[in-house]
Amino acid sequence: MIPILGLAAGVLLGLFLDPTVPLALQPYLPIAVVAALDAVFGGFRARLDGIFDAKVFVISFVSNVVVAALIVFLGDQLGVGAQLSTAVVVVLGIRIFGNAAAIRRHVFRA
Amino acid sequence: MSGPSRGGGPRSMGASLLDDVLAETLDPAYAQAAAARAAVPAGAPVRPRWRGRTLVALIMAIAGLLVAITYDQAAAGAKGAEKVRAALIDDIDRESGVSDDLELQLRDLNRKVTRTRDQTLAATAVGQRALDELTRAERGAAAQQVTGPGLLVTLANAAPTADEDPVGGSTSQDPREKVQDGDLQLVVNALWAAGAEAISINGQRLGPTTAIRFAGEAVLVDFRPVTSPYEVSAIGDLHSLRDKFVLDPRVQSLASLSLALHLRFDLASRDTMTLPAASTPDLRSAVFDGPDPAAAGSGATPSDATPPATTPDPTPGG
Repeated sequence: MIPILGLAAGVLLGLFLDPTVPLALQPYLPIAVVAALDAVFGGFRARLDGIFDAKVFVISFVSNVVVAALIVFLGDQLGVGAQLSTAVVVVLGIRIFGNAAAIRRHVFRA
Repeated sequence: MSGPSRGGGPRSMGASLLDDVLAETLDPAYAQAAAARAAVPAGAPVRPRWRGRTLVALIMAIAGLLVAITYDQAAAGAKGAEKVRAALIDDIDRESGVSDDLELQLRDLNRKVTRTRDQTLAATAVGQRALDELTRAERGAAAQQVTGPGLLVTLANAAPTADEDPVGGSTSQDPREKVQDGDLQLVVNALWAAGAEAISINGQRLGPTTAIRFAGEAVLVDFRPVTSPYEVSAIGDLHSLRDKFVLDPRVQSLASLSLALHLRFDLASRDTMTLPAASTPDLRSAVFDGPDPAAAGSGATPSDATPPATTPDPTPGG
């Protein structure tokens, strides 16, 4: 329950405070969001599996976001930013899909 | 690479990588942590639970914040693009207005020049002859407004489909469903061939040197953009014009083509319509071919006696 409240608080905070992101970081936001979604779905599934661990969740979230942004940053420097973004989105998207399917199996038993 | 073939042969590295990605959707660290927890004896001190919960809530808040910020940014980007587009359209409208004003002014001044010239020329017999010749040439060069019965041909793009987004940059409309410069050229040429004496497209009179061409998405007539629907007005003998135009094989193929591609292609007769004068080309060179400057120069300047293919009033600075 508390994590859901935290998520809602974050969304509301972002919508109402409307914080400005430095221009240099803006290209990495969508990728960071996808990485964050992956970590959140993973955490939710681990919780349903009964093996959730706060430390693992926190570390996986932070490292996911940072690594995804770093990969894209590196790609930008090498001139393959768009392709690497696609790669990151594909891999994370598959994981999100897999975790969502596992969550669905837990919730609906199907 | 994998070793000896198992089953269906050696598996490529790419396939096994994909297998990993597909099979291992959950971070293995969770399972390891769970195993580590299970291994710890029951009596050992445990980390305080509230700290973990606060951290998780904090991370979730950050995730929400990220989502909200990104959403905001994407929405602002779309709105910004729309705003820029609107500003550009305003700019175009304003400059078009300025250009129209200038053209009006130019027409006014041209009329004044023409009147003064006509008065001067009419004073002498040589001048009168030059004036007659000039009038004939001007009629041929579409430099005069004309009124008379005529044909109104309307061409228009196919109506856009419902799922088309007019704001987004991607114009997914089939280019074949748009009127091309070639279609307009075909219609205009067919009208000339049918005996039209004067033609205008959306109020742009066609002179001898007027071009109809494409520039990006817009059709340019005399280097001014015209948009769908294109109304081609042609003045001439109504009956023969109509009959010859309709019987023109190119027009018939265009008509069947427009039917297939849902283009609008209408024909209407008008008892009277007025076409404006075309913009006359600038005077670039003038050759004096009169008998003798001294003999011709009775009251008129030499440039007034130039061959009437060009209008003898050089635009200032042109």
